[in-house]
Amino acid sequence: MAPRGGHAAASSGSEDEEEEAEAGFSRSYFLAKEKETSSAKKRARAAAAVGKLSDLNLVDEQVLRASLAEIPPKHEKEVEALTRSYKDQYRNWLFELRCGFGLLMYGFGSKKLLLEDFASTTLTDFTVIVVNGYLPSINLKQVLATIAEMFWEQTKLKRKRHSGTRSQPSQNFASQSMDDIISFLNNQTSEDGVDGVCLLIHNIDGPALRDAESQQCLAQVSCCPQIHVVASVDHVNAPLLWDKKMVHTQFKWSWYHVPTFAPYKVECVFYPLILASGGHAQTTKTALVVLQSLTPNAQSVFRVLAEYQLANEKEEGMPVSSLYTKCRERFLVSSQVTLNSHLTEFKDHDLIKIKKHSDGQDCLHIPLVPDALGKLLQELA
Amino acid sequence: MGTPSREAPLTAANNIQPFFVLHKASAGASASISSPATSRARRRIEVSQPSSPNPKSAKRPRDDDDEADMEMYEQLRLEAFHCTWSKIQSTINEVLRGINLKLFDQVLRWVQESFSAIRSIMRPRPAEIQQPYPLLTDVICRKIPTAFVLTKNAEFVDDVTTFRDLMDHLESNGCHLAKLSATELSSKNGVGGCLRSLLRQLLSDVPDVADVSALASWYCKGDNYDQPIIIIIDDLEQCSGDVLGELLMTLSEWVIKIPIFFVMGIATTLDAPRKLLSSEALQRLDPCKLTLGSPSDRMNALVEAILVKPCAGFCISHEVAVFLRNYFFRHDGTITSFISALKLACSKHFSVEPLSFLCMGMLEEDSENFWRDKFGALPVAIQKQAFGLPSCTRENNSIKPGNNLVEGLSELMKLQKDWSSVLSCLYEAGRHGKVQLLDIFCEAINPDLHTQNDSNNELLSKPTSGNLSSGKSGAGRRCIAQALDTVRYMPMETLFRVLEVWSIHLEGMNEINAKVKELQSTTTSEDCVTITKDKWPRRSTNSTAIGTVPLNDKATMLLDDITRNFLVPVECLPFHEIICFKNVGVLQSALIGNPRRMVQLDLLKSQSRLNCSCCSRNGIAVSASLHDTSVMCNLAQEYGDVINLHDWYLSFDGIINSKGKSKLVGSPSKKKSKATPQQSGAMIQARFCRAVTELQITGLLRMPSKRRPDLVQRIAFGP
Repeated sequence: MAPRGGHAAASSGSEDEEEEAEAGFSRSYFLAKEKETSSAKKRARAAAAVGKLSDLNLVDEQVLRASLAEIPPKHEKEVEALTRSYKDQYRNWLFELRCGFGLLMYGFGSKKLLLEDFASTTLTDFTVIVVNGYLPSINLKQVLATIAEMFWEQTKLKRKRHSGTRSQPSQNFASQSMDDIISFLNNQTSEDGVDGVCLLIHNIDGPALRDAESQQCLAQVSCCPQIHVVASVDHVNAPLLWDKKMVHTQFKWSWYHVPTFAPYKVECVFYPLILASGGHAQTTKTALVVLQSLTPNAQSVFRVLAEYQLANEKEEGMPVSSLYTKCRERFLVSSQVTLNSHLTEFKDHDLIKIKKHSDGQDCLHIPLVPDALGKLLQELA
Repeated sequence: MGTPSREAPLTAANNIQPFFVLHKASAGASASISSPATSRARRRIEVSQPSSPNPKSAKRPRDDDDEADMEMYEQLRLEAFHCTWSKIQSTINEVLRGINLKLFDQVLRWVQESFSAIRSIMRPRPAEIQQPYPLLTDVICRKIPTAFVLTKNAEFVDDVTTFRDLMDHLESNGCHLAKLSATELSSKNGVGGCLRSLLRQLLSDVPDVADVSALASWYCKGDNYDQPIIIIIDDLEQCSGDVLGELLMTLSEWVIKIPIFFVMGIATTLDAPRKLLSSEALQRLDPCKLTLGSPSDRMNALVEAILVKPCAGFCISHEVAVFLRNYFFRHDGTITSFISALKLACSKHFSVEPLSFLCMGMLEEDSENFWRDKFGALPVAIQKQAFGLPSCTRENNSIKPGNNLVEGLSELMKLQKDWSSVLSCLYEAGRHGKVQLLDIFCEAINPDLHTQNDSNNELLSKPTSGNLSSGKSGAGRRCIAQALDTVRYMPMETLFRVLEVWSIHLEGMNEINAKVKELQSTTTSEDCVTITKDKWPRRSTNSTAIGTVPLNDKATMLLDDITRNFLVPVECLPFHEIICFKNVGVLQSALIGNPRRMVQLDLLKSQSRLNCSCCSRNGIAVSASLHDTSVMCNLAQEYGDVINLHDWYLSFDGIINSKGKSKLVGSPSKKKSKATPQQSGAMIQARFCRAVTELQITGLLRMPSKRRPDLVQRIAFGP
């Protein structure tokens, strides 16, 4: 048995190597420009080993944000010329929109101003509703309800004007289901006296709209008779959001490559700054804020845990039972219940993580690197 | 027309509101939208005015006039587009429905048979239907009749229209129809959601509690009772098996009371339901298998109806046709995308070509009159434009443009008709030799091959059978040569049938048709062959040596003859720009947006996109004057799939400050270097941050994980 097992182990070892080689190969495929294929992984490791962000003399986040607002623009003249060149295409865009296509703008640079300029100068025959898709707080249902209400009002107005009949009770679209609203929108025709609505969606590939459900909903809306869609995408993989049915029968995209090189001013706001929150400085700071708001006893419990973790870096974490013993010894807690209440507090603020130890018992772990943890303890004292 | 919201401020509030109304439609808009007819009439009147010197135009500034003109012609083109496309679309619908009709009838027959089978077991009274407990019948029937329609499409998008047509067909035959999509049959939606959706489609008012009993009470009412309910699921493979299984189990209990049948579309193989559903649910089905026609059949029929016989006047150039063919065969393979590509081409044509609205004349009964009217109303400048079209000005035109646009267009239309008839004949012959219509169509509209053919014609005034079969008429004319070859070696009976079809295709061309008739009369009696032989040009005798019947040769020669004389590609004709879309580049970029490539190119070649002089001037690969994100993207090219932020920052810092440094060291003129002082650390960091965020927004970069906070991941490699 033994030799066979040994053989198996050896072969599995060679398989590992093969896998490694294969991984290297596939990576080299993607890194077509990388000349030394085999060293790709080593290089990655080496890259990891060298410089750290903490080595840089990073400025405070506030200063960073202040500077961010003052970045001098580059190529102002050229960018303006580029934007002006798109103005000549506005008529063609409108034409295509009227032909029943959706316009999809892509290319590097914020297209917010371009599209809004297009809408306010050329789409005067339409009611234009702008959706800021880059915001994380989009609620599509509200948007649809607004459009539906607008249609409803117009129909009511027209009926009143034409036949003088009493107006129907108004509908509360906000309380209706999405399907109901969409089927209402689907039944609107120009005979109802409804103006065309143009839905101008900045970043239809925005973080909040990236789920399949939102896209399905937008696709359904885009093929309603009186609704036209003009949208922009920035993410290079945006086309993956849609299947063929959505692309060809619902959105009916007509793509336009319109790089503007305009800064993503508003779109950027919701992304963390890489040099501000990327390092652990931020997490230490937030942890400190949380800890300072807790009782001294709780702080001490945390300190026990942190000291244990610094002393035993190799271990997976501190067993709850030993924490309890230590805390009892120092008269920090009187019962398991009090300890648990502290731990719940820590957990809620992401100060600790609970893991199952390999021997089965629960282990506590502070998700901070030793440097950061040491710094935190210093500042807490 | 007023511009109501030009003043709409682009304030900060507009940036952080999830959505807002930018402006309402202007007052004039509703009129033009709601009643296009009146606006058209108003504009028509305006059309006739510009040609006569009227006081109104004198009052207005010239620019306004031009703009109004422009707008009016744009409106005309838009109308022409809608007219043309609706004609094409209805043709498409007709063709597809025609192809699927056989299947639809099969389904209908199956529905009727299943319904009578169920009713033969028992015919419950309304009161019985509505009672909540099962009926007491001798036979226990819980099997739902289900038709599996094998679509043979890898992509389900083509089936959407097929099933929609099927629904129409069944509905027009009295069935109650409902449709469940894969999104409805998802575990998230559950059986409750499915029932609700069914009720929504069948009932006028949906009760709060979605329940089969609501369906039962609806079914008892009035006319509803005597018809089955058909539920169509067009994309079975995408549905959740559990939900569908549960739905089937629920409905099977009711099948005697409410005859609900299923029609399910299967894209893969017939064992898909077995993979998807539990055996318990499968047992509740009473399956029936039906098959849809193949995509290539549908494609051929469509090409014939829209491109070979331009049903709406609009046609495409050789380049566009080749692009569409490749798009269909290599890129996508769905009819839907082919059609949407064609529609885009059509809209691009009408959007860009100023005279394209004349295309509408092709649809009119009296085209000449239409053109005369329209052309007469055109301003002189635009009239001149027509004669400035490249097709009219080029020198080596075989067909000279007259000095009359109306005649030119009529001639164009006639030649197009001949072209289409001949192509139909070619395809009818080639069909027997497995020639695809799209391929032969692409050859037939190739202007290069035609000009080549012309020169060949001059060289070999009398084509012999030898050069026909060896394909001397051009290496590119593979399909046409193949079609000719097929006729040459065709069995007698087939040839006879082909000739019959030819005479139908060639109905408009009397002279040629007479020749076909003559050939047909020869085939009726073998003896006649020798008699009529002398009427035909002498052939070399070697083909009789290899054993072909002379009639085949005659037919081949006739076909070759008409191919040479009448298969004139549209691009060789004067004024073709008016009806023919040629700009393949525009179509391609609008159809296949390629953000992955283009955004990277934007960044890597920003100097050429921006057309700036500052960045490309110096020979350095990455210049500090480049857009920051562009600098970063260029720097990122030097890394593998992970980028060390620290290093990246340092090289960015190096690039940005290099300009100042190098000048400090190298050039004695320190005046200039002082003008661009070293950027402060905070500013560089801010610029770095913004560039990283912008790369993140474009998706070229993924943020560091908690485990490796100093590394970011590159996503895309090489444009």
